[in-house]
Amino acid sequence: METVDLARLQFALTAGAHFLFVALTLGLATLVAVVQTWATLTRNPVHLRMTRFWGQLYIINYAMGIATGLVMEFQLGLTWSGLTEFAGNTFGASLAIETLVAFFLESTFLGLWIFGWNKLNRWAHLAAIWVVTLTAYASAFWILVSNGFLQHPVGYERAGGVLRLTDFGAMVANPTAQVAFFHVLGGAMVTGGFFVAGVSAYHLRRRTAEQDLFRKSLRIGIGVALPATLFTATFGGIGFETLQPAKAAVWSGDAARIAAAQAELAAAHGPGDYLPPAGWVQTGALTMLIAFAVMFFFSGLSAVLMLIRPAVRSLRVWHRLLTLMIPVPFVAMLGGWVFREMGRQPWAVYGLLTTEQAMSPLTGAQMRVSLTAFVTVFAALIVTNYLLLARAARRGPDAVTLGDRPLDAPPTEPALSL
Amino acid sequence: MEIFVLAFFALGYLVLGGADIGVGMALPYLGRGAGERREVIAAIAPFFLGNEVWLVAMAGVLAGLFPELEGELLSGNVAVVVPLLLSWVVRDMGLWLRGRVPGVRWRGFWDGAIVAGSWGLALSLGVLLSDVLLGLRGPVALLPALLVAVVLGAHGLAFAALRLRGELRRRAAVLSGGSGEARTYALTAAALVVVGVLGGLRLPLTAGPTASLLTPVILVVTPLLVAAQAWVWWTFRHRVTGPSYL
Repeated sequence: METVDLARLQFALTAGAHFLFVALTLGLATLVAVVQTWATLTRNPVHLRMTRFWGQLYIINYAMGIATGLVMEFQLGLTWSGLTEFAGNTFGASLAIETLVAFFLESTFLGLWIFGWNKLNRWAHLAAIWVVTLTAYASAFWILVSNGFLQHPVGYERAGGVLRLTDFGAMVANPTAQVAFFHVLGGAMVTGGFFVAGVSAYHLRRRTAEQDLFRKSLRIGIGVALPATLFTATFGGIGFETLQPAKAAVWSGDAARIAAAQAELAAAHGPGDYLPPAGWVQTGALTMLIAFAVMFFFSGLSAVLMLIRPAVRSLRVWHRLLTLMIPVPFVAMLGGWVFREMGRQPWAVYGLLTTEQAMSPLTGAQMRVSLTAFVTVFAALIVTNYLLLARAARRGPDAVTLGDRPLDAPPTEPALSL
Repeated sequence: MEIFVLAFFALGYLVLGGADIGVGMALPYLGRGAGERREVIAAIAPFFLGNEVWLVAMAGVLAGLFPELEGELLSGNVAVVVPLLLSWVVRDMGLWLRGRVPGVRWRGFWDGAIVAGSWGLALSLGVLLSDVLLGLRGPVALLPALLVAVVLGAHGLAFAALRLRGELRRRAAVLSGGSGEARTYALTAAALVVVGVLGGLRLPLTAGPTASLLTPVILVVTPLLVAAQAWVWWTFRHRVTGPSYL
């Protein structure tokens, strides 16, 4: 493998892992915030326990999202300094806004939410989870503004061999960014919805304690998954309108279109191979589309079944299938992401800077050491984290420690003073 | 102005994040048993998330205002930045995971990860600073790095002395001697600020053209960010009285 391929593999593994965790984070945060709102309004103990149970799963998942995310942010300067030097004056602006306006607040308020349980006024505590959720959306938005610029650069000029931003509004309004934001947000809700439904179905099938809690959760999960699947597909469909010509041509598989796209790019940028790898692009898109069909069919069927009380209670085949569906949205997310990112190759900034030019001046040895180190550590941590997530999901609300009454608090305090 | 923005977040990280790194480094000294260690970690638990984002924010400021420097600084120091990131990740996951399974061995393992990650983070920050400050590279850079790590450790102890009670507080106050806990903290914080400022003065800080757009935005949101952090500090201003969620 060439050095640039090692750097791409490292970034792809980091970003791919990050994407899996943040997708669930975004979806679960929304559901937790809504359930906590309901719990705060009604003081219903079931909803309080729901908030703590889903909240704990959310936090276990969140940890790995931060770890992969911060490594990804630093990797931009570490292995892609050609990109930051050439285009940092443009998409760096939205990265900076993301860290300051979104992530900084998200993390600060998450700390307040986790450790402020039973300490903060319950309305302040509720406000904290909403700030966490909304800043997580803002985070996704600004990251996709950066990504949208790399996919389809707008609002810039070229001066002295580097890009500079001329129209911030155009960069933000970039359709490639806007459509992707809603698509990803929808995808996150699908992921969260199927996750909540699948975990709930596990407990219904096993007839564990808290059947009422999990019947409610099951309905919430499916109730979110079906509309979110349609919403995501709609924006995905619109997204096909914003594809770069070469990506669209390779996806269509039409030899004449592919040749035309290649000829057009060669005429503009000199001789070279300007086509993205067809296998990756087509496999990515097909994976996403098949997963969509499965999810659409299954969430539609489930939306009907969840209205039938005996089915919710004891249709165990359905419960098992719901649990088996948990990974499908993740597969769709990765498929769509491969399609989007492999499809813009060989460009790092479409039409302006190739991936090879974007690479830092690192040696093959440096890249191999770095890749090996990150892959080893992340593989171990990700496996551990998913096992823990599964363990906490299986053990149910009784084993939740999030929001426990502080051990030092006087024993007269109610166990749940949310 | 851009330089002050960068300095604000960099120094903020050194002082705030430095304290929880230092507590992690001193964990085996402060907490002799599993219960004690958990209480020591409760001293930093509500803060470490809000502290580490100062470094993330600094990276964001570099990306937006000083993109050329960002590339040079990070890719030019790959041998330091990779261990820095790995230590950060290992330490964070140690903090997140240690309390999720009750076993003694599980907790011991992740406490080890916290200690190793904290030392790794302190030493790699130190090596990075010795390159920027003194132009030293290779094994010789470990000497000034060790000094930076010692200052971070002392800063952590000072912070722990302000947060803990009883025997743990007494242990943490080993450097303060008696009642000067706040004074020790101010002293170690000042030392970190001096190191940070000297390092910053050696960097080629020329802001990119996006500054005219970005700097006003940052100046408007920064008071909001500080207010959010202040809320956290206020909420958890009392001494630790027992274990936390971690």
